[in-house]
Amino acid sequence: MHERLSFHIKRDSVIHRLNPLTKLVLILALILIAFTFPWYWAPHFLLLLAIIPLGILGRVFPEFFKTATRLILPAASFLFLMQAFFQPIGEDVIFKFYFLDITQESLMFAFRNAMRVFVMVSAFTLFLLTTHPSELMSDLTRRGLPPQFAYVIISTLQILPQMQAKAQTIIAAQRSRGLDTESTFLKRAGSVLPLVGPLVFGSLVEVEERAIAIEARGFTSKNVKTSLYEIPDPSFDKFIRWSLLGLVILSIAANLWPS
Amino acid sequence: MKIEIKDLRFTFPTGLEALKGISLTIEAGEQVAIVGQNGAGKTTLVRHFNGLLQPASGSVMIGDWDVKKYSVAKLATRVGYVFQNPDEQLFSRDVLTEVTFGPKNLGYAKEKIDELVQRALSLTELNDKTETNPYDLSPTWRKMVALASIIAMDTPIVIFDEPTTGQDALNVARIANAISELRMEGKTVITITHDIDFCAENFDRVIALSNGQVLLDGPAREILGQDEVLAQTYVDPPQLTRLGKRLGLKETVRNQEEFLKAIT
Repeated sequence: MHERLSFHIKRDSVIHRLNPLTKLVLILALILIAFTFPWYWAPHFLLLLAIIPLGILGRVFPEFFKTATRLILPAASFLFLMQAFFQPIGEDVIFKFYFLDITQESLMFAFRNAMRVFVMVSAFTLFLLTTHPSELMSDLTRRGLPPQFAYVIISTLQILPQMQAKAQTIIAAQRSRGLDTESTFLKRAGSVLPLVGPLVFGSLVEVEERAIAIEARGFTSKNVKTSLYEIPDPSFDKFIRWSLLGLVILSIAANLWPS
Repeated sequence: MKIEIKDLRFTFPTGLEALKGISLTIEAGEQVAIVGQNGAGKTTLVRHFNGLLQPASGSVMIGDWDVKKYSVAKLATRVGYVFQNPDEQLFSRDVLTEVTFGPKNLGYAKEKIDELVQRALSLTELNDKTETNPYDLSPTWRKMVALASIIAMDTPIVIFDEPTTGQDALNVARIANAISELRMEGKTVITITHDIDFCAENFDRVIALSNGQVLLDGPAREILGQDEVLAQTYVDPPQLTRLGKRLGLKETVRNQEEFLKAIT
């Protein structure tokens, strides 16, 4: 079986050991607080005092840092520039570029929004790095998520690496029969066509076979199913979840509080 | 066409050392069976013959060509390779197009292609199925289409990777027949097989691989008699060979004919 398409890094850490639902609640709470808490510096503090320490605690900081600098930072910077230039608020112009004004207010606004997005995406990254998708899905299914939904998610994660491996084999078979796939661009382009047919057809056959296989093991059975892997959910996890929920409610309340 | 392998080594990206220094010479027109347990390196070895894998060190010469210097498509003019799983190899809408694909790529003249395709189809008894979609055929016939599509390329060397797996007796006989036709045409046939009876009945030379090394190499009669050594790579000699041994026959027998001759 081919490896799933997933960011998950198998390590042993406090964060890895948390129940997947707890982690999901944790990151959703971080995101909600970043977006609702009225204090201006809230998202910045969350990044420094929650997300980065969690990354270190989860022993995935190097990978997290790589994703953050290569992927999230450029996206957040772009968002920052767009909002700083095009947000028509404030009068205190500090920078002018043709018809574009940057005001103190738009700068502050853009900085906070970019930071919020940064917190959101990096929280999800942290989650994906420390949680195996099938672990999350079996935990959520146990809690009542329809198994069909879990199947769709998991099989989507599986299909890309599988198709890639399949494409490699088909290309090897065709080259063995004299198909020139490495010389000129035209020949390369021409060789794509005989590849598509078996790839798509083969994948469809595979989907059908897998459907039969899981049905043969009682996929749609209404009976309560047991799981091969017990995913622990200690009371400590429940405590964390309820506390986080409390914090989120406080944050939203603070946001709605007439000041 | 001669195949010369010198101290061939290959390591997979995962770090698994699949071939640990293999040296072999296979003369033109030889019929060779490669046996050995799963993971012994059989498929890895033959994939070097047509360039699908590149040696980490050592060399493979196909005639006067060093496989490192030629593309897979180019080597396909000399080495035909039938994959273990026909489903990975077949992609055309009908059997005729499928079988024509190889010779057409090799750039033969139109008449030659037609002739080669017809010959391959009759060797594999597919003449009445030319318009069928390969995927509508049973797995046994799909295997024959895979065979035909390589035979039609008319390469001096033909490799079969596990041709008899999952095949019924009738189809095994068809495959054996195709191999003996290729032998009469003077082609080198190299077959990877777990089917030791098939190996005993159709091949002159047997190479047993174990853990990426050559365990035994020689005439089939000699090799199949060495049950203790073969056991190292989890290969049992054919039933009749074992029976002959139990009966105390002087010579190692490989098939019914030899067995009957030895006991009368």
